[in-house]
Amino acid sequence: MSVTEQTQSSPETKRWICDTCGWVYNPEEGDPDGGLSPGTPFEEIPDDWQCPICGARKKDFREMAPGEEIPEDVN
Amino acid sequence: MFLAGYEHYLRAAAASQWDQATVDLHADAARWPRLPEGVRERVLGLLCGFCVGEDQVAGNLDAFTLAAHRPGVAACFRAQAVDEARHACFFDRAAAEVARLPGVSPRARRRAARARVTPSFVRLFDERLPAAAGRLAEENGSLGDGVALYHMLLEGIVFTAGVSALLDLLDTHQNPLPGLRRGVELVARDERWHVGFGARLLADLGLGAETVAGLLEQGRSVVAVWGDLVDPQIAAGALALHRRRLLTAQASTTQVAA
Repeated sequence: MSVTEQTQSSPETKRWICDTCGWVYNPEEGDPDGGLSPGTPFEEIPDDWQCPICGARKKDFREMAPGEEIPEDVN
Repeated sequence: MFLAGYEHYLRAAAASQWDQATVDLHADAARWPRLPEGVRERVLGLLCGFCVGEDQVAGNLDAFTLAAHRPGVAACFRAQAVDEARHACFFDRAAAEVARLPGVSPRARRRAARARVTPSFVRLFDERLPAAAGRLAEENGSLGDGVALYHMLLEGIVFTAGVSALLDLLDTHQNPLPGLRRGVELVARDERWHVGFGARLLADLGLGAETVAGLLEQGRSVVAVWGDLVDPQIAAGALALHRRRLLTAQASTTQVAA
């Protein structure tokens, strides 16, 4: 897959992205290793939770627009 | 688990450019002699670590760029090289203008800095990293092994723990060095996209359970290179994040393979 290829997110799936490190929070998956069970809405994440990749806080995440593309998703 | 693609990191790099020369260190320089000795010594030790470490990571990235398997990956390494050069300049400035580390040149100041960090710190950055870069340059090493060392261990643990220790130290003492603090915050922001890029690249290259176990084991010795400059609690936090980062990258690898 080249760097220019794009993956389109499902319009009905709300996701949040750490704009710095690029990790995407999907409430359906949660972050079990970080104490967030699958199904945890982003709004219910504690303020002191950390991004599993870079350690950013909840406030550093941005809600992705419906259908917003994530360039070259891993999956 | 999702990790954005390489285009994301290029955008992050472009959006977060800053000029280290514009960070005002005048107040820091004036306050430095008045810092309590214990605080000054700890800040100096951490600063010396960054002078040594950032110079080496800046100087050993070319081999990674040449070994990149995709144009997008090479572009990320080039963007990262710009950051690393800036970081090295910033910490040298702080060493010269604030801490007044002896030496008339960056090289001379780094010599002085090396005397203030542990031998294991020097070995890690002066020997192990150049050796890994050398293997890549000779096409005798794997990019995954290099990235594991550079992005996961050096940036993901050593720099992460050092930044946390420095910020925590300054905050505990009412931020007596505002310029240094600002610069370190900006460095930390850059490092966050670097480790994200490294995790994404490892996920692409394939991160097996054995490699993860090895990196978890190495993490404990790597964080110890700071000696007593990093509190055990901060070291533990860096190791916990290291573990989560690796597991997230590994989960992404599994999804790619599937």
